[in-house]
Amino acid sequence: MPHAFHLPAQMAELLDDDSLTLEELARACRRAPEWVSEHVEAGVIAPRPTEGVGLVTWRFASTTLVRARRVAELEDCFGADPHLAALTVDLMEEVGELRRQLRQLRPTGPSP
Amino acid sequence: MEFKDYYRSLGVDKGASPDEIKKAYRKLARKYHPDVSKEADAAARMAEVNEANAVLSDPEKRAAYDAVSAQAAAQGARAGAEFRPPPGWDTGFEFTGRPQDAGDYSDFFEQLFGQGARRGGFGQGGGGAERRGSDHHAKIELDLQDAYHGGTRTLSLRAARPGPDGRMQSEERSLEVRIPKGVREGQLIRLAGQGGPGLGEAPAGDLFLEVHFRPDARWRSVDRDVYQPLPLAPWEAALGASVEVQTPSGTVEVTVPGRSRAGRKLRLKGRGIPAATPGDLYLEVEIALPPADSDAARAAWTALGKAFPTFNPRETQGR
Repeated sequence: MPHAFHLPAQMAELLDDDSLTLEELARACRRAPEWVSEHVEAGVIAPRPTEGVGLVTWRFASTTLVRARRVAELEDCFGADPHLAALTVDLMEEVGELRRQLRQLRPTGPSP
Repeated sequence: MEFKDYYRSLGVDKGASPDEIKKAYRKLARKYHPDVSKEADAAARMAEVNEANAVLSDPEKRAAYDAVSAQAAAQGARAGAEFRPPPGWDTGFEFTGRPQDAGDYSDFFEQLFGQGARRGGFGQGGGGAERRGSDHHAKIELDLQDAYHGGTRTLSLRAARPGPDGRMQSEERSLEVRIPKGVREGQLIRLAGQGGPGLGEAPAGDLFLEVHFRPDARWRSVDRDVYQPLPLAPWEAALGASVEVQTPSGTVEVTVPGRSRAGRKLRLKGRGIPAATPGDLYLEVEIALPPADSDAARAAWTALGKAFPTFNPRETQGR
């Protein structure tokens, strides 16, 4: 039998545009921090613009985590080159956005 | 525990070369990729294919699995049948691959490799090592109003956790989560310590929830801005009016300027998704026509037409 338990409200943290450090992003993608820095240098994923200089000051948006996980998965599944994986993810993101707009034009939710 | 035929999952025979396994896996990974697949059970099939590949593409795990399969065959077990590996089956196997994530694979996989992985030299450090638990990821669908008011959602999650005897066991748990106000489409909510369990005294991983809004005919969001259709009667649009509008944050009274055309956007500053700098709400004018379903209504439409003898709604179209 599944047991339900209640999480205190403070445990649910909304990740904003500059919430994730390099280490947190790497861990959530199941990759080494070097994987993240290499992909940033290659222009595949981008940190938020910050005033400081160096890897320690890098911060990533939560949407970048979704993107980085997709890149990592494509590299794993298909042995894809990082740029090819990034191109595929660009297209996946675009298709996702178009599908969202299409769903909006044919909504199933409550009408006015 | 159900016996898994990993060779059948990948559609290869038992003598398949590493290259044949890789090819078969990639073909199926493409077929069942959740972002492109039209198959109804794509996610489940992808999980099955991933698990089969995790075992068959790793020479150590493949050898261990082959040994167990041979024992299972000797016991007369078939794929899908109940199966329990004999005690000490993994003696002599040392797993040195990457750490696996609890919860991603079946009970069968966890029974074979999960416990061995945690006891043996699996990953860095080996026995007695401490390692933070892996982060887990899930998607949730919310209503746009939840972004305005916050809300509580109960999530049902399945994950593998160590049982009292130290063996991994699958556990379904239900988690009540308070959704923070101000959440946007595609944004993540982090639940600290709700991911995979840590090794030794190390802390558990985190659970990341990716937020998506259910489609709703009443409104849609773009980042923090919200767009909502505003149907107006022709006379309201032409002459201007004060109208009541139901918005995601409640009822507001809006002054519509005269000579409003369909497609005009009225901006209600700060009435988008709440934040330190909240988004705006855009009301998009639509013209609604009263039905010509009675003599009086038809007479009114006729009179309107007569009042505008030179009006041509198609004058902007080329001739």
